Amino acid sequence: MICFDNVSVTYRGGVKALRNLDLTIDDGEFVVIVGLSGAGKSTLLRALNGLVPATEGSITVGGVEVVGASAATLRQVRSNIGMIFQTFNLVNRTTVLNNVLMGRLSAVPAWRSTFGLWPAQEREKAMQSLERVGIVEKAYVRASDLSGGQQQRVGIARALAQEPTVMLADEPVAALDPVTSRQVMGDLQRINQDLGITTLINLHFLDLAREYGQRLIGLREGQLVFDGDIADVTDKTFQEIYGRSITDTDLLAVESTE
Amino acid sequence: MTVPESGRPTRPRLKPRTFLIAGLVLLFTIYSGRQVGFTITTFWEVWSNPLWEKFWPVPWEWVLDRHNVINPLIETFQIAIISTLIGCGLALPISFIISPLTTPNKPTYLVAKGIMNVVRAVPDLFWAKLLVTAVGIGAFAGSWALSIFSLAVMVKLFSETVDSADPRPLEAARAAGGRHTPAVRTGVLPTVFPSYVAYSLYVFELNIRASIVLGLVGAGGIGRVVEAQRQYFRFDRVLGILLIIFVIVIVIEQISVALRKRLV
Repeated sequence: MICFDNVSVTYRGGVKALRNLDLTIDDGEFVVIVGLSGAGKSTLLRALNGLVPATEGSITVGGVEVVGASAATLRQVRSNIGMIFQTFNLVNRTTVLNNVLMGRLSAVPAWRSTFGLWPAQEREKAMQSLERVGIVEKAYVRASDLSGGQQQRVGIARALAQEPTVMLADEPVAALDPVTSRQVMGDLQRINQDLGITTLINLHFLDLAREYGQRLIGLREGQLVFDGDIADVTDKTFQEIYGRSITDTDLLAVESTE
Repeated sequence: MTVPESGRPTRPRLKPRTFLIAGLVLLFTIYSGRQVGFTITTFWEVWSNPLWEKFWPVPWEWVLDRHNVINPLIETFQIAIISTLIGCGLALPISFIISPLTTPNKPTYLVAKGIMNVVRAVPDLFWAKLLVTAVGIGAFAGSWALSIFSLAVMVKLFSETVDSADPRPLEAARAAGGRHTPAVRTGVLPTVFPSYVAYSLYVFELNIRASIVLGLVGAGGIGRVVEAQRQYFRFDRVLGILLIIFVIVIVIEQISVALRKRLV
């Protein structure tokens, strides 16, 4: 279970990215977070794994406090949380397999990963994650030689290699074309259903949010302005979250191929 | 100023300040030349000095003798190789430590930065003199001096590459719960490693040239032979050696340029 209790994040320079956020997410939920740019979506995810320190309040993941945690505790918490990024954040100049092995960093001694001496069972786990996203044949290809959709799948495989209980995805399809976007969203949905991994996804395409989400969270200027079942969401809900009417740019627009 | 109907702006004129700065640079150059007595005529006098006639003809038999030139040249190579290995080897961790992106913590950063400032503040020829005094004349002192020189150059070049590396894979490694060193190793090193190898080759090139100069102060290699022949006024022999060095430097440069092109 994930608990945000009165969480605020103020960046250096005084920008308040999150204000007094209260939120509880149960194990295995598939949560989509929407809001305008700058509403605090990325900050919410990064506060959860401590990449951005919360300045106030308490965040617990599986009962472990993240705010003010020691470096060792933070590494422990992070090892259970996979993260997927808008720009994939792969190391372009190395192989797909090496990228996925980064997901096993917390599981092997520092000297082993530093000298690239990954144990056979760790390589096996990396290969299995690649199989799960259907891209294992690219294991020894340089990451930069893959298409955007393939790169994001490597990103997902890297997160899966952690064998996480929580998956964070920060605008995972913003850099992809509509068809690939649906494939990647489908991958994430399948992983959530098959493995029961709690999943939090930031999205800015509202039709994708409605198509794939179960629970919707709306943020506006760092505050929680909506939290409810996706079935209850109407265009009016989105208008209230965004504080303006919905335009074509808020929609991915291409119909699902299924 | 009127804006033409097409809406295109007129080309901006050079600012008066630009002319002022250019004028000042020119004036300062002329002033400096006057102060050190540099004129075209004195320059010509240097070239009409009878000294230059002593450079010809080159005694190739002496120059191509193994003991006179080839063996000291091999020593120069050995100095350059060992110094490149030591200097560039040390430069790898230090560059990561002094780069804001990859530094492990403030104290380590300050210590490494302090060491590098001291290393850079002392000129390489002075390092050579210091080490010749400390450990005696010969290749050992030269190797040490050049290792320090390589370290300084390499850290300067390579840490800038590390600075400008993509921080996003590093964020991914941290998000996965990685410790600092493995995160930097897996998230940053693969990106910057080709540059590291390319710069190391360049430093090796510099070391071949520098080890010639260092020989002048007694730090071993071919430079010592050049200095000895100069002292005997055997400028013909000096020219022969310089021509050989010239060819070697060009060959190494070509190889290194070709290798670097394939790397980056």
